[in-house]
Amino acid sequence: MAVERTIRHIKALATGAKYMLGGHRLTLMYPDDVQEFPDGYRGMIEYDWNTCIKCGLCAMVCPADAMKMYVSKEESEEGKRPVRRPGINYTRCIFCGFCVDICPTNSLKFTKVHDVAFYTFEEQIFPPEKFREGVPKPQYDKKPRRVRAILDERRGIRYEPVE
Amino acid sequence: MQDLLSLIFEPYVFVPLIFPGITVAFLLLLVIIWLERKMAAKVQLRYGPLYVLKPLGGAIQMVADLLRYLFQEPIIPKTVDKLAFILTPALLFGMAYLPTVAIPVSPTFYAFRSDLSLLIVLALSTLAPIFTVVMGWASNNKFSLIGGVREGYIVVSYEIPMFLSALSMAVLYGSLDLVDIAEAQKGLWGIFLNPVAAITMLVLMYMSTSKFPFEIPEAESEIVAGAYTEYSGILYGLVMGASYVKLYVLSLVFSILFLGGWNPVPGFMANDPLLPGVLLFIKAFIIIVIGAFLRAVYPRFRIDQAMDLGWKTLLPLSIISIFISLAEVMIMGGA
Repeated sequence: MAVERTIRHIKALATGAKYMLGGHRLTLMYPDDVQEFPDGYRGMIEYDWNTCIKCGLCAMVCPADAMKMYVSKEESEEGKRPVRRPGINYTRCIFCGFCVDICPTNSLKFTKVHDVAFYTFEEQIFPPEKFREGVPKPQYDKKPRRVRAILDERRGIRYEPVE
Repeated sequence: MQDLLSLIFEPYVFVPLIFPGITVAFLLLLVIIWLERKMAAKVQLRYGPLYVLKPLGGAIQMVADLLRYLFQEPIIPKTVDKLAFILTPALLFGMAYLPTVAIPVSPTFYAFRSDLSLLIVLALSTLAPIFTVVMGWASNNKFSLIGGVREGYIVVSYEIPMFLSALSMAVLYGSLDLVDIAEAQKGLWGIFLNPVAAITMLVLMYMSTSKFPFEIPEAESEIVAGAYTEYSGILYGLVMGASYVKLYVLSLVFSILFLGGWNPVPGFMANDPLLPGVLLFIKAFIIIVIGAFLRAVYPRFRIDQAMDLGWKTLLPLSIISIFISLAEVMIMGGA
C-alpha cells in the first residue's frame, strides 16, 4: 500500500516534469495572433435594415432577453403608427443563434467577429440605428498574425498561420 | 569608504546582511515567486507572467508586484488587535530570516561559530509559526482564526519528526556544529549515508513552509487566505514572503546536513568564501525550486491527511533514521 502510493507520487512528479520540459503551450497570444474562425462561427450579429419585416420573432425567441424591439422614431412619425425594429444588448447576449435561425427573411446573420469588449456599459447596447451599421471592427496597434486552431492528436491544439 | 567596504565584508556583518542573510533572501524572493508561477504555467501549458520585461519572459514581474504592494494602502480593520496585527508580519518575516545568522558560508567564514549552531537554527526557525497563530487571533475574523488553528495543528505534526531527522544527522557526525557537519561530508554526502532522514526532512520542510500539497493554513479555496485574510499592502507582502524565506533557510540547513554544504570545493579555494558560498546557494536553490515545482503537480491535502502523514508515516521514519544513524556510527566507529 505504502509502496503503491510512493510509486503514484513519483509518477505524478514525472508527469509534471514531462510537461514542464515539453515546451508546448496552448495559449493564443491574442493581440499578436488573432484566430481565424471556421464557417458557421457564432460571433456578433449583423442586421440587414432593408430586408427586415419587423415581425419581432427574434425578440420573442431570445432566451436571454438580449434582442428587443425598439420603437424607431423617424419611421413611426412617417407612417403615423409605431414601427418597431430589433436592437441587441451584448451584455445579455449568449450567442445561441436562435434569432438568426428564426428570422424569416435572413435579415440577421452571424459574423466571425467576437471581440465583445467595450469601455462602457452603454456602448454594449445596440439600438436599431446602431445595429444596422454592422459590427465594430476590432482595432489593433500593429497588424496581427492570422492563425487557425488545428486539433492535434498528440499535442491538443496547435495554431497554424493563415495567409 | 574603504573602511565601510571592509566592514561590510566582515563575516559578522556580511552573513546577516548579505549572504545568507536579508539581501540574498530578498533577491531570492523576487526570483522564486516568478519561477514558481512560470513553472506552474509551463506544466499547465500556459505562459505565466510575461508582459513585464517580455524579452526575459516577465522576469521582473515580482519587482512590479513589490512596487504594487509598497504603494497599496494597508487596510487595518477597526475590530483587529492593532498592535498584534501590525507587528506580527514584521516579526514573522524577521523570525523567518533570523536563523541565517547561525548558518556558515564556508569552513572559515561565519558570523559566529558555536558548538550548537544546528540547534540554534532549528530553535529559531520554530519561532515563526507562533506569529502565524497570533496573526490568526489578532485579525478577529473566522477565516483567520481557522487558518491560525490549522497552522497550530500542522506545527505539532511536522516539528517533532523534522527535528528528529535533522538531529539524526548530528548523531551520525557526532556534532551539532554546522561547520563540522559540512566538513565531515568531504567524501560521501549525508543523503547517501541516511536517505531516510533526507526524504523525511525534505517532505517536512515543504510541510513547514506551506508548500503544496501541504498549503493547509492558507488554503485559498477553503478559507480565503487563512491567517493572512485581513492583510493588504506591504503587510501582506511580508507575510507572503515569510514562508519563502523560511524555506530558503531550511534549504540551506538541508544542503549543509545532506548535500555536503560547500563540498566539493578545492582545497586552495576553501579559505575564500566566494566559491563555497555559491555552491551552498546553488544547492539550496535547487531544493527551493523543487518545492516550487510541487505546486504545479499536487492538489492540497486535507488537514487530516497531512497530519496522518506527519504522525503515522514521517514520525516513525524519522525515528528509524535515528536508528540508521546509530547503526552506522556503531559499524563505522563514528564518521
